[in-house]
Amino acid sequence: MIELLSYDFMQRSLAAAMLVGAVCSAIGVFVVLRGLAFVGAGTAHAAFAGVALAYLMGWPPLAVAIVFGLATVWVTGLMEEQGRMKLDVSTGILYTATMALAILFIGMMKSYNAEVYGYLFGSVLSVSAEELQIILGLGLSVIALLLLFSKELYFIAFDQEMAEASGVPARRIFYLLLTLVAVTVVVSLKTVGAILVFAMVLIPASTAYQLTHSLAQMTTLSVIIGTSCAAGGVLISSAWDLPSGPAIVLLATAVFFLSVLFSPKRLRRSPA
Amino acid sequence: MNNPIIRFSHATFGFSGVVALEDITLDIAEGEFVGVIGPNGSGKTTLCRAILGLMPPFSGSLKIFDCSCEELHCHHRARIGYLPQKDSLDRNFPITVLETVMMGRYGVLGLFKRPSKQDRDIAMHALESVTMHDHWKTALGYLSGGQQQRVFIARALAQQPKVLLLDEPTTGIDITTQHSVLDLVQRLHRDMGLTVLLVTHDINMIRERVNRLVLLKTRLYAAGPPEEVLRPDILREVYGKDLVITEKDLIIVEDYHHHHH
Repeated sequence: MIELLSYDFMQRSLAAAMLVGAVCSAIGVFVVLRGLAFVGAGTAHAAFAGVALAYLMGWPPLAVAIVFGLATVWVTGLMEEQGRMKLDVSTGILYTATMALAILFIGMMKSYNAEVYGYLFGSVLSVSAEELQIILGLGLSVIALLLLFSKELYFIAFDQEMAEASGVPARRIFYLLLTLVAVTVVVSLKTVGAILVFAMVLIPASTAYQLTHSLAQMTTLSVIIGTSCAAGGVLISSAWDLPSGPAIVLLATAVFFLSVLFSPKRLRRSPA
Repeated sequence: MNNPIIRFSHATFGFSGVVALEDITLDIAEGEFVGVIGPNGSGKTTLCRAILGLMPPFSGSLKIFDCSCEELHCHHRARIGYLPQKDSLDRNFPITVLETVMMGRYGVLGLFKRPSKQDRDIAMHALESVTMHDHWKTALGYLSGGQQQRVFIARALAQQPKVLLLDEPTTGIDITTQHSVLDLVQRLHRDMGLTVLLVTHDINMIRERVNRLVLLKTRLYAAGPPEEVLRPDILREVYGKDLVITEKDLIIVEDYHHHHH
């Protein structure tokens, strides 16, 4: 395993996976607490439709994926705000509609394109140096913005109306969160893929949720769990020649169930 | 009367075309302790949202600190400490008592500023004034209903507000605790010179404690000292047959079965 680490591609994929693990698990804290899990899953499928369209038209895939992702989150945000529809309903509609678009675009392609499917399931071992730079740039921007607005993000996750009432520009912060969710999804497409990315957002944060009663600790734990599961998953996948996305996600899932078993909250789950 | 700090003038409020409060004209003076009463759906919570600047009037005007409410700056909003209805909060949210109270500083601080040692001191001091400072490290979800209310009052105090706005602070907690929460509010009103607006359906609980009662049912039916507002003819008009007056002159309003947990 030590020799493996001396290869360029291996170092690249470890770096990419750990970065994606860190970004996903950091934003995951806010997604889990604000109840945006399904919105994120829907965004991932919308972004995949963007990738399919890009391949059909010969456009840059990540750029089109970002446009699709942002359009989806903003439309869902607007729908919730106007009280027209619950988030899960509007997301459900957009989720399936964008998946239908993706299948349509793939069907319109003249030939089978394996690269498109790479974005569906992810393949961290094939991350190029260029792609790593994009992931690095976007990922670090997401983390920087999360840090910069962390107190407002925590506040709207706890109680958005209360935040608004005490002078925090809660609406704008909510849209910032939605935007960062979309960017995170796109950053992770290449490594874990559209189908599995939301596991990376939800699992570390939910694991940390089981283990602590403090916001600060939950965030730290989530990032540690996300980053180490990503690294562990890559090592497992290269050692046993398994697909990397599922290796990362299944490792994280195992850690999650362990945390449920040993959660200090488990004993106190009596209804209030 | 002291300086009016909140002024409604023929103000009408609502959402998606439905009028929730109509033609309200009311002045709240600095340092007053006002109880807001009325049946379910009478617009009590709308009144809170309006004062918080979350809801501009359809017509008429609302001024707070001499500032028109649709242009309430964030700076002004921070000077109104607010305790929302209890069931709007997630009991299992992973947050400690101190982390909760620190949120009271976030709006005051503004964007980009990190909370400092001074903000932490203000938060701890707010916890002391509700006698919850020994629990600062405790998980919010582990506290009893009454203790949680104290922590949320401390969060409002951490904003160093001029006005304290409490929406049903005694709902869903046991009777002894209800009294101790109201004792606390009364003490804060007296010692800190806060203007207090307390929304409640429990008239008996607050009638001895407030300077003035405001009786709402979409319109403003009465506003004045408790003995002037709690007259059978006025109450019957608002509550109809849900009103029972016993021989001890206690007023029991019985339309809250579904409100009690």
